[in-house]
Amino acid sequence: MNYVIIGASASGMSFAKELRNLDKNCNITLISRDENVYSRCMLHHIISGHRTLKDINFVEDDFFNKYNITWLKGQTVNDLDVNKKILYTDKRSVKYDKLLIGSGAHAFIPPIKNLRESKSIYALRNIEDALSIKDALETKEKIAILGAGLVGVDVLVSLLEKNKKVSIIDMADRVLPLQLDKRSAKVYERKFIEKGASIYTSAKVEEVILDETNDPKAIKLQGGQIIECDMVIVATGVKPNIGFIREGSMEINRGIVTNDKCETSVENIYAIGDVRGVSPIWPLAMKEGKIAARNMVGGDERITDSFALRNSMNFLGVPTVSIGQVNPPDETYEVLTEEGSEYYKKIVYKDGVIYGVILQGEIDYCGAYIELIRNKIDVSHIKYDPFNIGYGDFFEISENGEYKFKAVV
Amino acid sequence: MKRIKIDKNKCMACYNCILACMMEHNEKGKDIYSLDLEDKSNECRNHIEVNHSKENIPIFCRHCDEPECVNTCMSGAMKKNPHTGYVEYDEEKCASCFMCVMSCKYGVLKIDEETKSKIVKCDMCENRETPRCVENCPTRAIYFEEV
Repeated sequence: MNYVIIGASASGMSFAKELRNLDKNCNITLISRDENVYSRCMLHHIISGHRTLKDINFVEDDFFNKYNITWLKGQTVNDLDVNKKILYTDKRSVKYDKLLIGSGAHAFIPPIKNLRESKSIYALRNIEDALSIKDALETKEKIAILGAGLVGVDVLVSLLEKNKKVSIIDMADRVLPLQLDKRSAKVYERKFIEKGASIYTSAKVEEVILDETNDPKAIKLQGGQIIECDMVIVATGVKPNIGFIREGSMEINRGIVTNDKCETSVENIYAIGDVRGVSPIWPLAMKEGKIAARNMVGGDERITDSFALRNSMNFLGVPTVSIGQVNPPDETYEVLTEEGSEYYKKIVYKDGVIYGVILQGEIDYCGAYIELIRNKIDVSHIKYDPFNIGYGDFFEISENGEYKFKAVV
Repeated sequence: MKRIKIDKNKCMACYNCILACMMEHNEKGKDIYSLDLEDKSNECRNHIEVNHSKENIPIFCRHCDEPECVNTCMSGAMKKNPHTGYVEYDEEKCASCFMCVMSCKYGVLKIDEETKSKIVKCDMCENRETPRCVENCPTRAIYFEEV
């Protein structure tokens, strides 16, 4: 059996390892544009200089040898013929019996006037991006970051460490709008400003002002405000890498559509990770890799966890965890908060069920909230402080000594 | 693999396991006389929760068959050792993103007090046949067994 994998990031690597563990004899070929294996979530550490490319490798050094996988690196898949079961890269063609697509996503550059035309525009998705940003920083001093999501803020922090003059711009009324509320965002905003950042929230970019050589000079906001810059970094989301899929050959809806077994609409082709265009977080990509591998060798395992509203962050020494719906959608939800000089905790609660949690400053032992929120577990039988709910309240032991959550009756 | 099994009804919250863990991971010496309870570099890897029914619940790392801390680790710092079955943590690789703290739904993990950049995680007492917490438990609320 010839298995072919597209992509050497979280999903593809997780799949490859699991597949080899399940089937010692099959042929596995992995094709990737990447020439190295690295964690995309850690690219900002390359910019700051805290880590090297080798340091952000998230698998064993001898991975491909160890698991006996043929790696066609530095090759871009340009075309896929699902009828003939052949892939065409920029260098060769590859036949497969079963195909796993983990081709990921690329940075989305929004249609802002002069943005796509401008030089000195960067995104942060690949190691090449991180290295070229790092190079550019040798001459650039005033950097504008478009988008204050996790990627934008990661970049912001690494640039502040390099003592650059950095502006970050977002349409929302706060940084990290998907993860935080105003109170918890403010804690970070203050710290960023203390370190020299300029923060523009509730701000819409109208155009990039270019000089005569098409280098950016400034960002112009709606309303006329001008933010000087000589470099722009775009962190406004991603789009799935599906350019190699022929039109009409596979069901697409933003990303590749799959069922809960990770199967696409084409037999023997599975897709996982960011290329699906839903729930783009690392732990789900890793999990999907395992599930897809088990199903591809004949198993029947379903994705039971697609809960993507969960993130942790750690900027300038302040850790924060954000799980679920942290901003109540309407007034029927109860909001409980607790705060001190070094911490802030918030619970969004309704009819005995916790819908969202923000924990800032103190996050130890907090994991039980994930299970409670994901499965909408009723906690109303716990009469005391909902901030002190822990796994101990749902303690039960499996036969093999593992923990599980006790069903609440 | 072997796992530290738990019988919560036998736990008296005497904290012998906690002291054992701190002693075993104390760089200044492994005996009780070298132990400084206020030394933050020497935190206990496990803890005992008191739940809403006032029961003592020993929260000890399970070294899960499908560990979520490993799954969620984007740096490769958390790894399940295929030979021992134990989940090992490499603080050099760790990028302090704390996804593992959030993702362990049993609330086993915490950030270290001293540097606030590392994870405090059970290593099953690498060089001992039986983890020291198990040896020190006077009621057999925790015991070591092949699973």
